[in-house]
Amino acid sequence: MTTEKQDSNKPDLTIDFITSSSIGRINFRFLLIYIPVFWLGGLTTMIYAVAFIPKLEGWVASLFYLPASIFFMICLFIMGCVFFSKLLLVLINLLHKPREGIFKAEKGCKEFEFWQIRIQLKKISVWLLNNCPLPWMDVLAFRWFGVKVDFSSHMIDAWVDTEFIDFGRKVMVGQGAVVMSSMILGKYLIIKKVYLDDYTVVGGQTSVSPGTIIGRDTVLGALSTTTFNQVLEQSWIYFGFPAKKLKANKFAEVKPSSIKKIDVDNAIAYNVEFDINIDEDKRDLIKDNNNVNKNNKSEEN
Amino acid sequence: MSVPCSLRVGPFTSNILLKKRYISFYFAIIWISFIPVLMEFWFYWQLLWSDTNALHFYLFLPLFGLLAYVSLVLSGILVAKIFLIVINVIHSPREGVFERTHKDKDYRYWNIRLIIKKYPIWIAHKFPFPFMDNICLRLFGVKTSFSNSLFEGWVDTEFIEFGKNIIIGQASIVQSSVIIGNLLIVKKVIIKDNVKIGAHSIVMPGTIIEENCILAAHSLTTVEQRLEKDWIYVGIPCEKYKINAFNEDNLEELIELNINVDGIREKYEKLYERGERTQVGFLQRKKEKDEKIEQEKQRWQKVPT
Repeated sequence: MTTEKQDSNKPDLTIDFITSSSIGRINFRFLLIYIPVFWLGGLTTMIYAVAFIPKLEGWVASLFYLPASIFFMICLFIMGCVFFSKLLLVLINLLHKPREGIFKAEKGCKEFEFWQIRIQLKKISVWLLNNCPLPWMDVLAFRWFGVKVDFSSHMIDAWVDTEFIDFGRKVMVGQGAVVMSSMILGKYLIIKKVYLDDYTVVGGQTSVSPGTIIGRDTVLGALSTTTFNQVLEQSWIYFGFPAKKLKANKFAEVKPSSIKKIDVDNAIAYNVEFDINIDEDKRDLIKDNNNVNKNNKSEEN
Repeated sequence: MSVPCSLRVGPFTSNILLKKRYISFYFAIIWISFIPVLMEFWFYWQLLWSDTNALHFYLFLPLFGLLAYVSLVLSGILVAKIFLIVINVIHSPREGVFERTHKDKDYRYWNIRLIIKKYPIWIAHKFPFPFMDNICLRLFGVKTSFSNSLFEGWVDTEFIEFGKNIIIGQASIVQSSVIIGNLLIVKKVIIKDNVKIGAHSIVMPGTIIEENCILAAHSLTTVEQRLEKDWIYVGIPCEKYKINAFNEDNLEELIELNINVDGIREKYEKLYERGERTQVGFLQRKKEKDEKIEQEKQRWQKVPT
């Protein structure tokens, strides 16, 4: 990684390092999107509050149902926000269809501007869901926003971009991992789809760069990174910076019947005595209890 | 996307010197910052509540909630700023290497400053809209502009100078003070225009990053390192990797030539097909999923050879 490539005639444009997923810049125009989403989401909870809570008679009943109704109102607010941001997203996608490629990350580029609007719009509902105590609500929102996810996968503890990502079944994305389908490179924005196939595990604090394909049963170790367009083959354990093959993933073949369970408490402990091939007069030099005992015994005999 | 709790690792330069009397600052800030919000609600109540028809009250309540949230954050920041001005008059913050004992005046006041800032930074960082974070940093004396996006990482709130168009990646840390053994090192960090800092990377105190630099993901700068102009830096600690050629115009096609997309596509056609198949009916999808679950069961019941 330390080689210096200097060639003034041909600029080195290979992408063999990764930076961050590009984060939306502050644009006060985009904040106008938030207000209707918040308002409409809040109105759904208001309708519930006005219509149902006064019907409970007596303070005992209202106190009894208060925690449940507060919890329900939080869920309703979040779902309302997700629903209305989805509606706005459909409208925005009708204006401009999202697509993969390399674009300029500047004002005036249509792709970049619409990409930012989409990010800002999704941000509010994903933020609400990340602060919500129900982990599977995250998957629900991702499905709404067009990511192909199953309820068997889990990624609430990680940063996952909400577009151009394809999950298989039972995918685990570890704590603090960053799975990004877009990357900022100097003046350019790169968007490329990421594929995580069935039963893959992405370790904690890893960065998965755009264009990565992770094969079936593959494990990407903690604190490692993948480069742009890297393909991780099936049934291997990858590790490093950038990720390289560490060993074949034998753990994927393990079946429950092959796992032996030993009751440690009731097991009988055996002391194995082993003899070392050494001269008789030099035995005293080895400070091993077994051998010392043996010598004593032999002397007694 | 918002940052989940596991990415919010927080500052490693947190307040180590915990004293009971410092908590009084904390409570005072939280208490005083709630008063304007309550007054706002009282005005709102007076304006729109009526016993017979409270439709307008409920209709605008969500919008008022948003307003109250914004004003809660702003009042928290402003109250902390007033506290901070008083503290800085008593002892002005300065750079240098200090001893990490409470007898050292600089270390003591550094702790007090951090405790005062902790609540407003926390509440501004929790806020979903990015502009609040920038306002908070600006009021606490960090030079930033609104073209920077700093809100997904951790940025210390003193002795930092930012240029324009800076992007700081997810879970990366920019710190101007660090504790090593019994020493506290406070040094100014300067990050100039168009710098991009990757995910999970750490910028240590005293670093100067020049224009158009890229610090790649998972890399670390050492104390008082100087990153030169127009270079890409990678590694722990970071070293020169290659010249940053991505800052010129009209390179879209040249970059695309370097990426051998078709080669990868041929090799993994099946995977791409699986992802791109969108027009499949609901029943078909359900059937495929059931088949997959059946396969999973068989896979686990098979006897090993």
